Amino acid sequence: MQQAIFIILALLTLGAALMTVITRNLLRAALWLVATFFGIAAIFILLRAEFLAVAQILVYVGAISTLIIFAIMLSRGIMDPDQVRFNGQWGVVGGFAALLFVVLAVIVTRVPWPAAAGGAPVGDAPADAIARLGAAFVGPYAIPFEVASVLLVVAMIGAIIIARERE
Amino acid sequence: MVPLSWYLILAAALFCIGVFGALARRNAVGILMGIELMLNAVNINLVAFWRHIGPDQMTGQLFAIFVITVAAAEAAVGLALIIAIYRQRNTVNVEEIDMMKG
Amino acid sequence: MTLPTLNFLAILPLLILVAATLLVLLADLVVRNKRVLTFLGLLAVAASLAAVLLVRPAAPTFQGMTLADELGLFASVAILVATGLALLLALERTSDFTRRPGAYVALLLLATAGMIVMAKASDFITIFLGLEILSLSLYILVGFAQRDARSNEAALKYFLLGAFASGFFLYGMALIYAATGSTNLAEISKGIASHSASLPFAPLLPIGVGLLLVGYGFKLALVPFHMWTPDVYQGAPTSVTAFMSVATKTAAFASLIRVLAAVWSGDRPWLLALAGLAVVTMTLGNLAALRQTSLKRMLAYSSIAHAGYVLTGLAAGNDRGFEGALYYLIAYTFMNLGAFATIQAVQRRDQNDVTTEQITGLSTQRPGLALLMTVFMFALTGMPPLVGFFGKLYVFSGAVQGGMTWLAIVGVINSAIAAYYYLRVTVLMYMGGATAAAGDIPRTGWAVWTTLVITAVATLALGLWQQPWMESIREAVTLLALR
Repeated sequence: MQQAIFIILALLTLGAALMTVITRNLLRAALWLVATFFGIAAIFILLRAEFLAVAQILVYVGAISTLIIFAIMLSRGIMDPDQVRFNGQWGVVGGFAALLFVVLAVIVTRVPWPAAAGGAPVGDAPADAIARLGAAFVGPYAIPFEVASVLLVVAMIGAIIIARERE
Repeated sequence: MVPLSWYLILAAALFCIGVFGALARRNAVGILMGIELMLNAVNINLVAFWRHIGPDQMTGQLFAIFVITVAAAEAAVGLALIIAIYRQRNTVNVEEIDMMKG
Repeated sequence: MTLPTLNFLAILPLLILVAATLLVLLADLVVRNKRVLTFLGLLAVAASLAAVLLVRPAAPTFQGMTLADELGLFASVAILVATGLALLLALERTSDFTRRPGAYVALLLLATAGMIVMAKASDFITIFLGLEILSLSLYILVGFAQRDARSNEAALKYFLLGAFASGFFLYGMALIYAATGSTNLAEISKGIASHSASLPFAPLLPIGVGLLLVGYGFKLALVPFHMWTPDVYQGAPTSVTAFMSVATKTAAFASLIRVLAAVWSGDRPWLLALAGLAVVTMTLGNLAALRQTSLKRMLAYSSIAHAGYVLTGLAAGNDRGFEGALYYLIAYTFMNLGAFATIQAVQRRDQNDVTTEQITGLSTQRPGLALLMTVFMFALTGMPPLVGFFGKLYVFSGAVQGGMTWLAIVGVINSAIAAYYYLRVTVLMYMGGATAAAGDIPRTGWAVWTTLVITAVATLALGLWQQPWMESIREAVTLLALR
């Protein structure tokens, strides 16, 4: 049952992702991107990472997609349906991407994963996963947590400086 | 249960679609969307590894949360840069944004 | 639940930098004379440097998220020195390229903090965050020269390629995490050493390390991931170029050295792969530098070549090579910063670059600047007794010791090619008749002179006087415990 759900979700996600990169109209591409993000959130739920699924929707769908759509609408003309989607090397690039996929896919299927026979996880997801996440952020991961906030300061200063420039 | 390798193949496919988008698109926003797909693919990997290798330690999920944070920060700065360029040149096609050679 | 005690002393240098950043941003709102902000920045760098040198916590700190070892200390000092010099370099000229000197100083300090985090980090998560802080700050700083339309363009290119590379970097980290079950370098190293059957790392580890190398390659401008370098170095404000060309290399190489020491058992194929990367990097960098007329582009290609020399030390795979690489990073910090400082001094106020034509006959107009530029060019060429010579000597002898004599020979041939374009600059300055009007070159202020004198003295002195700090380098490498 789970496997059937996974296959449907995976196909939907990949289809949406493919549409994101090949759609001519950028605004539509951004909407396909939103669909991809939702698909990935569903995959996270399937993996029992509910907190991450919610974070995914909040940050990616709520913030990043909105930013992208704003940027598209602020720069008129880039939605022009007649414009060329790809640069000259898209054929080569497509070949490279396909090759990369084959390499990565072959490698991950060849790996003798622990308990690979059934493919089942070694243990159950802990019931208190979210509590553990919280404890990790103030415990062993306190430094990365603080450093991440510095990163957000950088982004804030940067975005304000660049976008406010009107000359 | 869904085997780990299925998730990993999904992530690899998503990553490569993102790579294609990032390298083939002419429009800077389009390239950025490709990059976002790549980062999402990494997150699927991380969460799948967390679930199948060490669900007791939250490392994979924690890493994914940091990746999401970074992606948001990158998108904010990147889109600001794109808009700044657009104001200056009226285009965001990377092939037309090319004053320097040599 | 008990919270672990946080040893804030261990991150004191970072705390100082971040606090100073906020202070600078606040002061920006009230202070009329914007030079005060740069002085604040310099003060913060000095305080941070003092904290690095005087407060020595026991390693590792913060549950192994960062390391306070010799390598981290060494890299922190090099990075902070570069920041200080870059601030000094821009002191009198900030208003030439931006109307926001406060944000400029703030972002420079934040980039420094990110670099120190990256150089000291011993966990993939922290490494990645440090890398992103330094990258994001630099994307913005590169675009700071508003009068130069190329600046914005450079920022966008740097951003798109950098973010793209981050994807590979992360994928590599995820695969190594899958192979070893941890993101902590110490744990990863243990996992590989025990080689237990439950760890499925056979095909995962090499691919993971390979993808990680792609990410580092972009940041370090190794061929074939170097294409952004000339555009970005040319488009960025000269003081930013001076800073990023040296400090980013120190941070990323320090981190790469840590990762390599953890994941790698010194296998011959890996060393050969690194050696191959070093060969194409230095050769292509030097060949492309030959035909540049813009000095900033020339130094950009030359910086690619220098990354190749440092990589030669890593490819050697022995202590001597690693020591050479670290020595090279310090040497490069001073000589390259000096070269860019001279460009900054010669560059016209309304321009963001200097052409070979503009420096022709410089010795008659500005004998002092011409002399200093000659020192830096000689050092970059690798002439004894300047630092550049010893840097090359150590990495090449490391390669010979590691059984890669051919690599050392390629390196020496490359140095000879490079001598052509470095010495051409000197020849033009001294032999050519003056083409640029003397008035075009702005008066050189005391801050730029200070930068120039410090870098020139260091370029000379650190070659002659190596004993005390070479010991620190040796200790850093010994602690890595290469297998």
